[in-house]
Amino acid sequence: MSEILAIYRKEMKTYFNSPIAFIVISSFLVITNWLFFDYGDYPFFAINIADIRGIFDYGAIVLLFIAPAVSMRLISEEKHQDTLELLVTMPITDMQIILGKYLSTLVIFAIILGGTLIAPISISFVGNLDSGIVISSYIGFFFLGATYLAMGLAASSFTRNQIVAYIMGIVIIAVFFLMNGMANGSGLIATLFENLSIRFHYQNFFRGVLDSRDLLYFISLIFVSLLVSSTALASRKSK
Amino acid sequence: MIDVQNVTKSYGAFEAVKDVSFTVEQGEILGFLGPNGAGKTTMMKMITCYMPPTAGTISVDGLDVITESMGVRKKIGYLPESTPLYEEMGVRDYLNFIADVRKVKGADRTRAMDRVISVTGLSKVIHKDIHELSKGYRQRVGFAQAIIHDPEILVLDEPTTGLDPNQIIEIRNLIRELGESKTVIFSTHIMQEVQATSDRVLIIDQGKIAAQGTAEELKASIAGQMHLDMVLRHADKSKFIEVVNSIEQIHMEDLKLQKNGDIEAALKVDAGTDLREQLFDLAVSNKWKILESSPSSFTLEDVFRKLTN
Repeated sequence: MSEILAIYRKEMKTYFNSPIAFIVISSFLVITNWLFFDYGDYPFFAINIADIRGIFDYGAIVLLFIAPAVSMRLISEEKHQDTLELLVTMPITDMQIILGKYLSTLVIFAIILGGTLIAPISISFVGNLDSGIVISSYIGFFFLGATYLAMGLAASSFTRNQIVAYIMGIVIIAVFFLMNGMANGSGLIATLFENLSIRFHYQNFFRGVLDSRDLLYFISLIFVSLLVSSTALASRKSK
Repeated sequence: MIDVQNVTKSYGAFEAVKDVSFTVEQGEILGFLGPNGAGKTTMMKMITCYMPPTAGTISVDGLDVITESMGVRKKIGYLPESTPLYEEMGVRDYLNFIADVRKVKGADRTRAMDRVISVTGLSKVIHKDIHELSKGYRQRVGFAQAIIHDPEILVLDEPTTGLDPNQIIEIRNLIRELGESKTVIFSTHIMQEVQATSDRVLIIDQGKIAAQGTAEELKASIAGQMHLDMVLRHADKSKFIEVVNSIEQIHMEDLKLQKNGDIEAALKVDAGTDLREQLFDLAVSNKWKILESSPSSFTLEDVFRKLTN
């Protein structure tokens, strides 16, 4: 555990010693809040309904571009600077490295989540929010972000180039996000694609119900992504 | 302390290390000498558990690098080639991070930090960021991280490459100093370096061990041998070769015919013989004119060149 925390602390230092954390957090909050309050056919101020779902709808799209920007450097930078070699020859397992790095991105995301509370808090003064739906939506949004970040981390573990990691991350997330639109109808394939898609499971959280299948779906995606990342690190060990 | 047995490492069809065996005793400083691409770095990456050998075994203090990797890693301090560092971190933050991962804690941490800062002379730059440091200081930071957990074994991959002459001497002194209490393996492609620092030399070329022994032993294997460079005028090439071959103690190393017909010959003369007079007489009897005859003794550099060409 102390190894994981050592990696975590180092990553947090890196995020906050540079403008990365600030840029990522502020751009997400500015864009998402702007979209929610003042954009499109149904801006919050125009429709006059105490509903914050827009935050999570727009947020899911904005985060698709922001999350890979947080995770793109995690492994590819280590590869590019050759620091990975030193890291993996210290007494620490590949999975501990991955978990420490992943934890740091979750904390950045938690700060982002905290920032989005502006909407529900301010709206609760002027209207009646269904707190159950708000809470379940936040849980859904947390798992969505956690999944994006794990996928971005996996993308980062395959390349020494951060730009490649960023674009690969977006593509992987987008494929999973949009998968339910890839097959029409009610056949087996369509059902399979729907059940594999992020959007399908994400939407369920807005009904105010926590379904263990949705949670299991996101946790599995995170688990597989982290396993893929750790396996990519271990590829040096082939004989 | 380190036992390498029949180790082979292939990258696809290419064999970077071929059936190499050697041992390093406790407290020994072993210089790994070889031209670029000889397999030095690959060997070090296997000893430090970065990657496993394709065949053969490596054990460090009795622990196998594959099955007891974590135990091996704890015993080793490693400075990889070109000193990779986190550019954006401060020097102290960086050393604290390494100490964190290596579980050097509490009062031990404070002592370890003081020790490595004084040993590597980092006190002047301890508050700077790594990207602000000169090459020499970067190298010291690399050393500092390698010794922060006071390891029994140090593995240093080309620790002096890219440094200026003063820095090179400082780093060599540091290696010798650390070598008094630790087992050290370091690699280099510079001959004088192993002569200056190591107890024993292992010359590696094209993935194989070409020679090993102390610098003295290697020199002794060629002791007394001499180079003799000659330039002759009015000499017939085939006759000259015939004459040289007729003398047992002389070996032709190189022969060039210059544009004006002069012969330029590089000869190797066996130990304990001085054939200059005999050669002079032969030249006179053949009516050759000796324009140049300059003997020089063999150096360790020659051993290296001879073995790795």
